[in-house]
Parts: sequence; structure tokens; C-alpha cells
Amino acid sequence: MYRIRFHGRGGQGMKTASRILGTAFFIEGFEVQDAQRYGAERRGAPIFAYVRADRTAIHERGVIGRPDLVVVADDTLVPVSAAGVMQGIGPDTVLLIDSAESEKTWRERLNLQGPILVLPRLIPLEPSEMAYVGTECAAAAACLTGIISLASVRQAVQQELAYMKAGVVDRNVEIASGAFARMAAHSGIVQEGGTTSHHDRTVPSWVDLPADDIGESSPAIYGAATSVAVRTGLWRSMRPVVDTSRCNRCTWICGSFCPDSAIARGSEGYPQIDLDHCKGCMICVAQCPPHAIVAIPEAEAVAQEKEGAAS
Amino acid sequence: MTEARFQRMKDLPSTHLLGAGTAMCAGCGGLAAVTEVYDVLGENTVFVNAAGCMTLLSVYPFTPFRGSWLYTAMASAPAGAQGVRDALDILRAKGRITPEEDLQVVVLSGDGAAGGIGLSATSAAIDRGLDFIYLCYDNEGYGNTGQQTSSATPHGALTATDALRSGFAGWKKDLFAIWVANKPAYAATVIGGEPLDLARKLEKARSMDGPRMILALAPCPAGWGYDPEHSVEIARLAVKTGIWPLKEYADGETVHTRLPHPRQPVENYLKLQGRFAHLFEPARDEPRLKEIQDAVDAYWAPLEAEHAGG
Amino acid sequence: MTRELITGNAAAAWGARLARADYLPAFPITPQTEIIETIARWSGEGVMDCRMVMMESEHSMITAAGAAAATGVRVYTATSSQGLLYGMEMLYTVAGWRAPFVMANVSRGLAAPITLESDHNDILAARDSGFLQIHCATCQEVLDVTLMAYRLAEDRRVRLPVIVNLDGFYLSFTREPVNIPGQDAVDAFLPAFDPGPATFRAGHPVSQAVAVLGGAPYSYFRYETALAAQAALDVYAAIGADFFARFGRRHGALERYRCEDAEIVFFMMGSFSTKAKEAVDRMREDGVPVGLLRLCMLRPFPTELLRSALTGKRAVAVIDQNLSMGKGGILHTEITSALYGYRNAPPIVTSFVGGLGGRDISIEEFFEIAAINRRASETGEIPPPRLLYTDTELREIRKLQAIAHVERQEEIVP
Repeated sequence: MYRIRFHGRGGQGMKTASRILGTAFFIEGFEVQDAQRYGAERRGAPIFAYVRADRTAIHERGVIGRPDLVVVADDTLVPVSAAGVMQGIGPDTVLLIDSAESEKTWRERLNLQGPILVLPRLIPLEPSEMAYVGTECAAAAACLTGIISLASVRQAVQQELAYMKAGVVDRNVEIASGAFARMAAHSGIVQEGGTTSHHDRTVPSWVDLPADDIGESSPAIYGAATSVAVRTGLWRSMRPVVDTSRCNRCTWICGSFCPDSAIARGSEGYPQIDLDHCKGCMICVAQCPPHAIVAIPEAEAVAQEKEGAAS
Repeated sequence: MTEARFQRMKDLPSTHLLGAGTAMCAGCGGLAAVTEVYDVLGENTVFVNAAGCMTLLSVYPFTPFRGSWLYTAMASAPAGAQGVRDALDILRAKGRITPEEDLQVVVLSGDGAAGGIGLSATSAAIDRGLDFIYLCYDNEGYGNTGQQTSSATPHGALTATDALRSGFAGWKKDLFAIWVANKPAYAATVIGGEPLDLARKLEKARSMDGPRMILALAPCPAGWGYDPEHSVEIARLAVKTGIWPLKEYADGETVHTRLPHPRQPVENYLKLQGRFAHLFEPARDEPRLKEIQDAVDAYWAPLEAEHAGG
Repeated sequence: MTRELITGNAAAAWGARLARADYLPAFPITPQTEIIETIARWSGEGVMDCRMVMMESEHSMITAAGAAAATGVRVYTATSSQGLLYGMEMLYTVAGWRAPFVMANVSRGLAAPITLESDHNDILAARDSGFLQIHCATCQEVLDVTLMAYRLAEDRRVRLPVIVNLDGFYLSFTREPVNIPGQDAVDAFLPAFDPGPATFRAGHPVSQAVAVLGGAPYSYFRYETALAAQAALDVYAAIGADFFARFGRRHGALERYRCEDAEIVFFMMGSFSTKAKEAVDRMREDGVPVGLLRLCMLRPFPTELLRSALTGKRAVAVIDQNLSMGKGGILHTEITSALYGYRNAPPIVTSFVGGLGGRDISIEEFFEIAAINRRASETGEIPPPRLLYTDTELREIRKLQAIAHVERQEEIVP
């Protein structure tokens, strides 16, 4: 059975990715199960979807614990443990990362035994084209299995995106074909995983739940604003940056309109943006009277920060 | 048919459609209203009933209806009406019944359901423009369970849950105004003791489509504390004292169908009822009586000024 | 016929569409909403002649559904979890009306704490309502059983509403290959609804759902409903035989998987039972004689079928995705009451509670459950009920409690 997981952000089309790959398998005559993990499908938030494909009926259900292939649509998610990208990756798991960085860099960074591949960015990550990433990932994954033809992928894209405008569908088919071609050298690298042996089984470490005191055992939070521990800054694909040369220091404007309490008045009266929690909505950019806040792609901002740190 | 059908009392039917033999209390003002309503609407109706006193109109194997009836629950009679209305429309649209087999859908609800637990379902049915008549018999309390305070209980009335000498401290919810705020096709207040006014309004409502409400004050011998023989007298006094204004809403306008003149003091109405006895005995509770009279006066003041002026 | 990859929710909507449902009173709730949205879209496109009305609550939705069915149209509706419980009064009420319609329930755990993910406490709360209950394990079954449910509900020997249950997420949002039968084949299987005399028409007065005074008439009408529910077992078997003859897929009150020579049998319902099948296959490869008995119909309860399926088994492992506070797994109660006093009943019936709020059950856990039952059948001692919960999960909870500023009491180590 093939067990494939897609990781990305809400808005990047991970559900579409799993559906395109699922349909492509189905066209090739496989039994298929695909699903998106729902829950926090907020734009920009980490999200994942998965596909199982086999030649006989599939009895497994739910989240894939031991994937044969993990596709990461957004490389900034790799180190985020809450995103669960690395969960269950074994020596035979192929990791495919949509990234501008090299395979060598990732190999050094992650220290994994299994194969790591990089799907180089074909398209600039304009917010309006975020949804194309799913198509790209699905086509690349299909190629890596070595048993799905490009024709099936193209048909799957057309089928799954049938509700979209013709031009958009054509663009997706084009992107899928490109991604498929770029992975051709690795066609067949993903192998079907086996089943879980009963003979060599591990025994679950069950525990008897203690009867806890009522102070612990009801779903109550005994503190204020514990939500600040959640770093929603990870959702951001665009970052607001303040140009102090143009800033009027009217922080009551940007600060009032920020829905996430992420803008404070800094020491010299300039807005101070809490990047741990700024979700990248860009309301501050839209509302700033002297247009002193500009939006730049998060990846660019991170790269600039690194350069700054290095120099 | 127009409202001209009912010009005088003798135009009203002398034999009634609603069968006798129901379990309603002797002298029930609600039953009087339902009987009069049924005479106008006729048997090509399906009554969808909310839990209340009228639950017991049909007790197996006895029903007073010559048409149909569906008992639902306290909170959702308008939703039951929605299901029946939609089903009849579907059956007609798909040619499974003839237009002659169609029915007028009528919700029958007490004030407890109408102003409380069932208000959300009622409001939503109006939002959806449901084609139905909503008939509320308002006996100003949860009558079927022994007259506890409801949202329709008037100021100062004693109830089973406001049994202390001062009675209910709040004020009666204005269900008519709530309906009017929802812009229904039609809304009217009626009372069984004024059958001609009631028949004219029902005739008008019958000829319209969309959400239509008939709010009938229902004098209740058991709950209000008076002998059944006084039911009609009390009903008329409710109108003559102005505590129960007779009015109707259509086409965005509310019109009063009766301007009590001269308007009698409200205590003439109150003093006949046990639930207000504490306002008179052992001593007159002048502040409370004045409060009630002032509220009635305030209601009528602009209307009377307009009338005097024009 | 076509074979397509569709979600459990889409399969439910297809069932309603092929059944030619006339009417859909609706109210949104996760994870059900896709069903009503799909039907709304089809109605808008004109491929399904179904009138949809957005109600303001599930209580009203179920009232409208029952009232429309009582007026003689074919009704479909769907809900989940909190919505099912909000409509609980009307579940009992419309079942008492003997108003036949089909409602999907997309199972989801109940508050509090509120969750979006699946378990069976919602649907089990409706156990005694008078609705018949069919539980699905695959998307295919959702579609097929919806069609069968209309035949069952509308049968004059039954005339009761039916809930078709599918698990949230694990079926509702999961695509699987589903055979979608042709409309002609479905029309031949499922004729138009004949409501009979108890409908509202001018010139044919009928008073429905009338009050009774006294226990004797009340008992009569209630027990007649119970008898109709009981009769549904045979009716469903006949419908299942006809469905198999026409469509080649078998659906009954119970599914037996590798049970014939099994010594230990898993007993459960819903989509997690396919996980049990996977475990059974792996254990069989290793020579362990285990099987799965899946309860597909909870009401009416197939007592005789169950007894016969379990005759001579050494142990039954009941896995409940639900919890009755102060008692334990509800299926465990159901099965033991059905087996008690039966001469050939398995001597060991064990209780496991798992999968609450969508918590996964791993294949290793199935292996271990089987091992515990094997040991119990050897020693004759029944182990205490067990919650499937690992020490890792408990450690995670302790971390969450620390964030929630919970002051931990001293851990009492027995």
C-alpha cells in the first residue's frame, strides 16, 4: 500500500493535492482513500492531507502514522513540531520538500537516513497563486511513485478542478506537467510500505487513568491569556514592516485595528509588531495613513534577517 | 369572499364547526376564540398544535376537528407548519394532489409557547415567509400547568409562581409588536368576547398569503380567578378599559379597530379577577393601581389625541 | 452505474438523490454540513427535484421533517452530535407519529468538552427514541444503506424513521471508491412513497399524534411502535436480499468477518471496524484464529443473529467508541444482555473503551486486545474494563494542564 502525506498551510491546496493524487491513483486502477485533516483550516495555519492507495480494499483509516512519502509544500513548516511534518518518518520514507534550498542543505539540516528530494519552486509564491502549490505537489508525488502516468495526472487535475474557470484549470495542468517532468529522474523512488506484523508486534503502553482532583480533571484554564503561548506568527506568508522614515507614530491607528493585539507602541513611539503573533492579515498596511507599513514576503524577510545576522 | 361577509352579529354562524366534547375548562375564553376562528377558516385546515391547554383538544379517540390536526411540541409548532406547508406545496407542484385537496395551515399556540420557548421557531417561520396563520390564545400564564408566570403575564397579577401579595413585578411582553417588527403579512389582536371584530379579522387573514398572526386574549376562569359566567363580561371590559387594544397590522400600518370611548377605568376590569384581588383587599393598593392605569393611559394618549384632533 | 471517489457525506447525499427525496429541512453542523450543501447545489442545478428549507434549529428541523413525512412526501435530513441532542425531544415525538423518513447522523463526540471529532455517544443517546439505527463502516455502505433505509422506513409493517449513522472525519470527509447505481435500477428497487391514509388532505380529516389519557392506551401505542421496530429485523433482511440480488452488495444487521472458525471475536460498530479487519488479517497471517463481528443495526437489536454468530466462541472483545458515565461501554451492556442465559454464549465478554473524540485505535492495540482475551479464555477470569489510553497520551495531558495553570495534586501511586 502507498501511504502519502501532504503538509502545507491553509490556502495552499493540500486537500486539492490529496484529491488530485487520489484520483490519479484511482484512474490507474487503484483502490484509494484520501482525506484532509480538518480542524484548524485557517489560512496560513499548518494543515495536512493524506492518500492511501492499494490494489485491494483498504481497511486502514485515519492519519497515516508511517508514511512512504511526505510532501512538504512549505519548507518553513519542517522545523515546526506542531505541524507534524517529521512524524513517523522512517529510513524508507521519501521526503519531498518544495523549497528554494538545496537537497544537500536539507540533508545536513535534518540528519535523516532516508532520501530527501527538493522540488524547486517553479512559480513565484504570490498569495493569489498559493493554491497552485497543491497541484504541483500532487503531480510531483505521482511521478515519484513511478506507477502513475502523466496522462492520469492531467486527467485528475482536470477532474478535481472542474469547478474552476477554464484558464485556471489549464494553468494547473501546465504546472502539474512541469512538476511531473522535473521529478522524472526520481520516478519510482517511492516504494509501497508493508503491513504491520502481528508476530513482531509491540505492546501498547496503556495506563490506568488516575481519578484526579476536580481542580485538574475538568476542562478549565486557571490563568489569563494563556493563548499567547500559541505562535500564530507561523501562519504568516507576508510580513508587515514599518518604514520609520515615513511613520507618523500614530500607533493608536494600526494598533487599534490589529485584530491580534500584535502591535504595541515601541520605545520611540513607533509601532512594534509582535512577529510571534502577527498572522499577516495586513490590515495595518491597509490602514496606515502615511503608508509607512509595507508588506514583504515572509521568506524574503527571513532571508534578510539571516543576512543581517551573518554580516 | 370579503370582510363584508360579517356586518352584524346575526351574520355570524349559529351552528359551530368545532365539535363539542373537548376537555377545555367551562367558560374557557381560549376555546371561545378557537371556535369562532374555526367557523371562519372552515374545515379545509390543518391545525398544528404547540403544547399547552389546547393539547387536550384531541384526546384519543376524540377530536373536535372536522379538518385535520397535528400535535407537535411546545417549541416547534411553526416548524411543524413549515413541514406540512412545504409538503403540500411539493405534492401540488408534483401533481400528486389536486388544488382542491390543499389545506390552510394554522398553528395553535398558547402564550407560553408563543412568547417564550417557541418564539425562535415563530420568528424563523416569519423570516422564511411561511404561508400560515398563527393563532395564539393568550391566557397570560402557563395555564395548562396551573397558571405560572409566563412572558405574557400582566403587571401585578398573582400567579402560581408569583403568589406573594404584590404579584408579577414585570410587564406583559408585547407579542403583537414583536410580530409587527418582523413585518408579517398580517397581525391582529382579537378577543372571543368581540366575535364580530374577530370574524372580520379572520376573514381578512384568510384571504392573504404569508405569515399571519391572530393574538386572542383568552380570559381564563381557573387561572385568573373568576366564575366562568363572567368570561364574556371580562373580555368586553378588557376592551372597554383599553387594557386589550383591538388592532390590526397590514401593509406596514397598524390600525385600531376599536377606540374605547369613553374609556373605563382599568380597575373595572381588574376587580373582577382573583389574580388582582390583592390590589383591592384588604386595602386598595393605590400606587400599583395607578401604575397600571398610567400604562394604559400612556398607550392610548397619542391615539386619543389624534382622534380628538381629527 | 459509475464508480467514483466520493466522501461519506457525498455518499449520503447521493443516497438521498437516488431515493428522489422530495424535501430537505436543514440546519448546518460540522461535520454534516457538506451533505446539505451538496443537495442544495444539486437542487439549484436542477439535477435533483428536492425542496430545501433552512430551519433555525435541529429541533425545528426534525419537527418539519416529521410533519412533511406525515403529509406524504419523501423526506431526507441530516445532523450530528449537539444538533442531534438539541432535536432529541422531536426524535421521540416524530417516531411516535410513525412518520417515515431517513436522517443521516454524522457521529461526533458530545460536549463538554466540545469537540469536532468522532465517537458514538451522540447516536447512542438516540438509542431509545424509536428511530431505527443503521451504522456504516464505508462510504459505499452509506449510499447503499440510505436507499435500503427508505424501503425499511416506509414499509407498512415498520413505518418508523431511520437514522443512517456515519462517523465524522473517518467517513464524512474521507473519499473512497463508491459504486453509484443508475437511477433506473434504484427506481426499480425503491418505489415511490405511498403514505397511505394518515395524511393531511382537504376532505379527509385526520388528527395525528393525539394525546392519550391513561397508561393503558399509552402502553398500547408505545408497544405497537416497539413491535414495528422488532418487525424491522425481518423486513430489513428481505430488503437486504433484494438489494444483493439487484446490486451485488450485501448489507445486513450484522457483518461477520472471518468469524466462522474464530475463537476470539472483536465486536464493534462504525468505520473503526475496518481497522479491526486489518488487525484480523494480520493475526490470521500469524495463525491466530480471530474474527470481527460488526453491529450494523443497533435498533432493532439483532439478538438472535448475534447469538448464532457467537455460538461456541471462546471470547468476545467489545470495543466501545462511547462511554456511559458510571457504567462503561454501551455496546458491552447491549451484548451481554443479549447473551445472558443463552446456553452457547461465549464464556468471556471483555470491555474496551477507545476512539473517544476521534482518538485513533492502533493495530497494536487490536493485537493486544486479542491477546488479553486469549489469556482470559485460558484462565477463565474476565479482566476489568480498559480505556485505550497510553502513558504518552497522559504525559501530553500533564503538559497541557501545566499551561492551563492547573495545580497538580500529589500523584497518588497505588
